[in-house]
Amino acid sequence: MTTVEVSKPAPKPAPKQLQRRRSDRPLLASLALHATLLGATVIALFPVLWILLSSFKPADRIQSSEITLVDDPTLENYRAVLFDTPFPTWFLNSVIVAAFTMVIGIAMSATCGYALSRFNFAGKRGLMWVFLITQMFPVAILIVPIYTIMANLGLIDTKPSLVIAYLTVAVPFCAWMLRGYFDTIPKELDEAAALDGLGPFGTFWRVILPLARPGLAVTAFYTFLTAWGEVAYAIAFMQSRNKLTLGAGLQQFVPQFNPQWHLLTAGSVLILIPAAVVFFFAQKHLVAGLTAGGTKG
Amino acid sequence: MSTSVRYDQASLVYPGTTAPAVASLDLTIEPGELLVLVGPSGSGKSTALRMLAGLEDVTDGRVLIGDKDVTHLRPKDRDIAMVFQNYALYPHMSVAENMGFALKIAGTPKADIDARVREAAKILDLEPYLERKPKALSGGQRQRVAMGRAIVRQPQVFCMDEPLSNLDAKLRVSTRTQIASLQRRLDTTTIYVTHDQVEAMTMGDRVAVLKDGVLQQVGTPLGLYEKPVNAFVAGFIGSPAMNLGTFRVTDGHAQIGEGRVPLPRAMTGALKADTVQLGFRPEALLPAGKGDPGSFAVEALVVEELGADAFLYGNLIGDELRADHIVARIAPRSVPEKGATVWFTIAPGALHAFDTETGLALPTD
Amino acid sequence: MSSEAATDAPAEPPKAAGRLRRSFDRNWYAWAMVLPTVIVLGVLVLFPLVQGVYQSFTNLTEANQDEVICTKTLGGGEECKENPKKAEFVGVDNYVDLLTGERGSFWLQFTNTVVWTVACVFFHYTIGLGLAVMLNRRMRFRSLYRVLLIVPWAVPGFVAAFGWKFLFNPRFGLINEGLVNIGLDPVEWFNHRWTGLFAAICTNVWLGVPFMMVAILGGLQSIPSDLYEAAEMDGATPWQRFRNVTLPGLRPVSSTVILLGTIWTFNMFPIIFFVTGGEPAGQTEILVTGAYRAAFEGVRNYSLAATYGVLILSLLMVFASAYRRTLKAQGEVF
Repeated sequence: MTTVEVSKPAPKPAPKQLQRRRSDRPLLASLALHATLLGATVIALFPVLWILLSSFKPADRIQSSEITLVDDPTLENYRAVLFDTPFPTWFLNSVIVAAFTMVIGIAMSATCGYALSRFNFAGKRGLMWVFLITQMFPVAILIVPIYTIMANLGLIDTKPSLVIAYLTVAVPFCAWMLRGYFDTIPKELDEAAALDGLGPFGTFWRVILPLARPGLAVTAFYTFLTAWGEVAYAIAFMQSRNKLTLGAGLQQFVPQFNPQWHLLTAGSVLILIPAAVVFFFAQKHLVAGLTAGGTKG
Repeated sequence: MSTSVRYDQASLVYPGTTAPAVASLDLTIEPGELLVLVGPSGSGKSTALRMLAGLEDVTDGRVLIGDKDVTHLRPKDRDIAMVFQNYALYPHMSVAENMGFALKIAGTPKADIDARVREAAKILDLEPYLERKPKALSGGQRQRVAMGRAIVRQPQVFCMDEPLSNLDAKLRVSTRTQIASLQRRLDTTTIYVTHDQVEAMTMGDRVAVLKDGVLQQVGTPLGLYEKPVNAFVAGFIGSPAMNLGTFRVTDGHAQIGEGRVPLPRAMTGALKADTVQLGFRPEALLPAGKGDPGSFAVEALVVEELGADAFLYGNLIGDELRADHIVARIAPRSVPEKGATVWFTIAPGALHAFDTETGLALPTD
Repeated sequence: MSSEAATDAPAEPPKAAGRLRRSFDRNWYAWAMVLPTVIVLGVLVLFPLVQGVYQSFTNLTEANQDEVICTKTLGGGEECKENPKKAEFVGVDNYVDLLTGERGSFWLQFTNTVVWTVACVFFHYTIGLGLAVMLNRRMRFRSLYRVLLIVPWAVPGFVAAFGWKFLFNPRFGLINEGLVNIGLDPVEWFNHRWTGLFAAICTNVWLGVPFMMVAILGGLQSIPSDLYEAAEMDGATPWQRFRNVTLPGLRPVSSTVILLGTIWTFNMFPIIFFVTGGEPAGQTEILVTGAYRAAFEGVRNYSLAATYGVLILSLLMVFASAYRRTLKAQGEVF
């Protein structure tokens, strides 16, 4: 925003300090800045990279901390995970559960967030409070009663049970966040749409949603991740081995005394791939999408 | 073909408040007329417009378009188009899509939409920009797209809510004549809201002045200027504003500074106190010599030279009731020095008088 | 729909009814839009919550949960009789037992939870703020840094837990390797309460910084740049600008993310569960994992788990209202 001033030439030789272009900073400061960010980036990436590198080590050498691990790289771990275990089935289960959670989660939080942003209806304040309280009651303790409800509905050991459970976790935050995003879209657009002949649902669908892409991207990212890596509900609800999702399935590689690190590393890397894909599509919207959510209470 | 609009005792009280935003508004807009609603901020002028558009719920009374009671109809069923202050263009649609959106929703065949959009674009000089997004347009172009969106629909009524307030001063002047002439050409009943009384005077067939949700006066611009019904309208209409002040009355004469100004008999007869609120427009002040009958002295503080005109702002000398400045239109190019004393009289018949209690106009003849 | 209102001089009652109906006309879609969410939350969160509060006053366990005990008879039918040992109302016994340490180790877990929450939220916020301020500057590779720094957000909790556990592994973890290389002794991370918690906190900080960073970055971008220009004209140093423009400008964002972060961290289950697993001997449990163990290990003690749940919820509600009150006292309403 200040670039216009930046390019303005100094009218006459000014003191050295003033002549400096605003975007310049001393070399030392610049170095320190980049060094800090580089350090942070290394820390952010290292655990992931380490798992990735380890996944290429032969099973018997995985428990070594040599950094020169790529001297004998192997895809054996991946082969074992993909062909000797039900991993592909779990993976597919997870994809289905996460995809449904994402789609339904977006639909629910978007409609709910829109209603909260635009309409004054009885119970609105109460609903906002319920959202906060649902975040306070520990999931670990909800598992038992939700299990009972699911059992009564005959949904235990089915994917819908997980999708519904994950929605309870993700939707309150997402609806609240999207409400903040919708608040930044001028209300006049709704009014213009009403005069142009759209009803409330038409306005939502044809005018508001196309403008809320950043907010929806964050919601997609958040709902997907909630479902993708979840373990506790998955272990509790899914009973047949071939119906497990990834989070629950991988726990089978960690028996009490003999963790199968080679399977775990390879499995973890494979798990990260879809998450990375969703992340790739969402990342450029994350800052803009969360902006409003953070600023509005 | 155009229709009338009628507010019939229409009121709006916002939930949680007691004072109505619009109080028992009675107002008829004739077919094809351009009526300007004007008033200071918070006067309820926008609210009144939004009641007509269906964007606010009327608490009491009725709103009619033609003979049809639209009080509780949804906006889309009223056949109204609106131009918003911030234009409210859909950012994700091109100019053409913005303009044709209402028709598309109404199910108009695509060829018809295209033809009408193109025609409107031609009228508004928007043809080169039809495929652009609003973001890529200048403020004036966006304003024209908002106009285009309204005229493409060929509605019964146009509602315009301060459509020029986001333009710079020069563009505002040229656009307001364009809008006025376009409105006359289309012959569509139009309600135009503004806080700018110059806009109101220049554009309106008639002007309605609102204050605190209450309609003060409706009339032609000149009618309001010459015969304001109360002190508020008198002070609001006209630029620079009318000089208004409260003066003591003795023997049928008002004491204005050092001058004793005779008041018409009708006026003194209607007086209920020994003070009166008098108003005289800057151009009603005529230069006079010291000692001329009814003349008073003003100490010049600032002189604004505008080229064709000059305005003198000064203090009334010898006055204890009035603190505001006196504004007088004077001949340009030979203006008095700052601090100089200038004598004025009030042009015959140019004096307005208002009751000090009620602010209502007193008869002048 | 306005036909009845259009007729002249309608009597009072139909007018009132019309208003109600109009209110419904105007609001039904708002309700329709929130209904799915309300149903799911009502059935799966609020109902269990109420149920949990009730259960916390009983002695319900896996062993006595059935109201009746049914046995198959020879004829193929079923014979049911009342469970002689069915769960019963025990008043506040569960709360007394928990709070006096009769059962479980509430206060140890409470201390751990407080340490865990304060440490995690503190580092989430400060590191997130630091990175966000740096990323908010104009510089080369800015968007690359930003993408890479958000990566941990995309890592599922248990994968992160597993990865860090791998790094903290006392025998072959890289961290001990590093310690040995610089001449220190390797640490048995999971043999001590504080080292175990330290490892878990590291993991969670790593996992949680990106969210804070992104939220704060969004907040920074909403601070008008002319405020900085004005401060610069007033001769403020960079530090003064940070103190007097950046931090106040971030307050709405900060107050929200700190409250949310505290609630989330307080109830963060997978990290402790997978990184330390409570080792050594339950010394690193926090309240949520303690509750989980009560609910799922050995004879499942549902009533005790529910008691944990109610206590956690109460603590957080007290915290949240105190927090709001403090902010309000400082003139901040959210």
